[in-house]
Amino acid sequence: MSESQKTAASQDVKMEVEKNRNRAALRRTFFGRVIRSVVVAFWVMVIAFSLIRLSPGDPVRMALGADVTEEAVEEFRTQLGLDKGVLTQFWDYFSGILRGDLGYSYFSGRDVTEIVGTHLPVTLMIIGLSIGFAAIISIPLALYVAMSKSNTVNYLFRALTSISLAIPGFFLALMGLLVFGVYFNIAPAAGYEGAFPANLKYLWLPALANCGSLVPVLARVLHSSIVDTLDEEFVETGVIRGVRKGKFYWSYLLRPSLAPTVVLLSYMVGVMIGGTVIMETIFSLPGIGRELITAVDGRDYPVVQSIAMIFGLIVVFFSFVGDLTGYLLDRRVTLS
Amino acid sequence: MTTEVKKKKFIKEGTFGIYTGFFMLGSLIVAGLIIPRVSKYKPNDLASMPLAPPSRANWFGTDVLGRDVFVRVFDAVFIDLGTAIIGVSIPLVVGTVIGTLLGISQNKRVNSLVGSIIDGINAFPFLVFVIAMIAFIGPGVGSIVLAISLVNWARYARIARTRAVVVNQQGYVEAARTLGFSKKRILFKHIIPNVSSETRAYALSDFIIVIIAVAALSFLGLGIKPPQAEWGGMIRDGKDLLTVGFWWPTVFPGIALCWAGIAVAFISEGLTRRMREVGTR
Repeated sequence: MSESQKTAASQDVKMEVEKNRNRAALRRTFFGRVIRSVVVAFWVMVIAFSLIRLSPGDPVRMALGADVTEEAVEEFRTQLGLDKGVLTQFWDYFSGILRGDLGYSYFSGRDVTEIVGTHLPVTLMIIGLSIGFAAIISIPLALYVAMSKSNTVNYLFRALTSISLAIPGFFLALMGLLVFGVYFNIAPAAGYEGAFPANLKYLWLPALANCGSLVPVLARVLHSSIVDTLDEEFVETGVIRGVRKGKFYWSYLLRPSLAPTVVLLSYMVGVMIGGTVIMETIFSLPGIGRELITAVDGRDYPVVQSIAMIFGLIVVFFSFVGDLTGYLLDRRVTLS
Repeated sequence: MTTEVKKKKFIKEGTFGIYTGFFMLGSLIVAGLIIPRVSKYKPNDLASMPLAPPSRANWFGTDVLGRDVFVRVFDAVFIDLGTAIIGVSIPLVVGTVIGTLLGISQNKRVNSLVGSIIDGINAFPFLVFVIAMIAFIGPGVGSIVLAISLVNWARYARIARTRAVVVNQQGYVEAARTLGFSKKRILFKHIIPNVSSETRAYALSDFIIVIIAVAALSFLGLGIKPPQAEWGGMIRDGKDLLTVGFWWPTVFPGIALCWAGIAVAFISEGLTRRMREVGTR
């Protein structure tokens, strides 16, 4: 065996070892990430549980109002399980969540799980639609600005994204209502239909208003990530080889640049949930955000607590999925 | 060589943004100081015709109760800006200190425990958590500040912790240690100033989020109580009239809110540009 063959063989072995090590590292980081998500999810439950203990006065008395008898207060307390020890209460609450039992509304007596089940899909749909719109707007915008050599375009892009970030979603939604609802008369101000294609009529404007804060963030991250990608040698290779335009934009520019955007998008889910809560109130959409506001107004503690917790868990879930997708899109990203 | 000459600019990058931002913010504050004092209307006077359109007598028109929108918009400047400033400062200080202490502490158990609590708080959508907290502590300015602080410190703490780990290993901290400075002095004179440059930069962009959140809470009826003039509350009062032709009680407070946000956004963007320029030099 010649010297060069030997080194080639040893290199093969080395690569094999490296591959296995990579795979093991991936598995380790993957399970590490799962465990971390579970730990964070646990804390989300604990924090939601301790919310009721934050209230300065007696939450029961605050909920019932000033003029109630002592017995009514005691009865309510027993009904809530607030007369038991904190640890027992937490165990009841925690095991309830695992069984899918989130307790009952104080006032309507409805099952909280049922409330969430009916209203969450609407909220998730608004969020999904917002992400869709934001992607449709941000990707061409970021590509255009990144490819443009003009200083003015770059400057305008920075200025306009800053401005757009500073405009409150609820004001934007009301202005949208004024323009599209009153002036052009193409958007309904309120009302809702349950079925899928029909409800788009009611959802497109709220989703578009959500984009006001989503697009600038997405477009900026995507833009800077495309600018970084443009410096890579393989882009130059693509240009020299004369790759087809469509393939060039997708495989050479967008795909390597998408990973940070996807990870960011998953972190933005929390921001979008906040925006959607407001949109649902403005457009009277039967989402879970409107239920939250109604429950807050009525001091319906179990509902508030559960909805806050569910939103927290959704964010934990999406940041896990986002990290994972980011990794699958671009293997250079490390899971942490 | 020619390209280098071209690149050289006489005005530092970001200057225009910073000046525009400060001018916008300054003009808003000055207007907030002067207009409520010199105007013939009081913010809660029911003196004029209800829902009068903008005219020479009422520049921004009047609202549904006949209150002058112009005076109310500028009367709200201090309550909105003030709540947001306090709502940013408290978490900034608390979060920076806690995060720094975590970053330099050697106690693994405390570190991972507090770290996961921080992650847990950060997992909640900001606005949802603040709304939920208001349900338990009741509405009002104090509650808003308390709720925002209880949620937001964790974001600052996360940034500060990451930064403190890096700063703690820097040469100048090592040098201070070798010189035998007290732990307190190293912490307050060497570590915290360097950690806080990062958290302060975040505070500026956080200010926009918080001022929008304060207005949004009032808009949802959970924030600053009427009759105090406040932008979010004014928009709430006017929103049902918007679709029937009375746009002025909603649009003017909305513009004021955007004006304040955009001013800070320009300052923040300008400073970031400038810092980046200094960094690359």
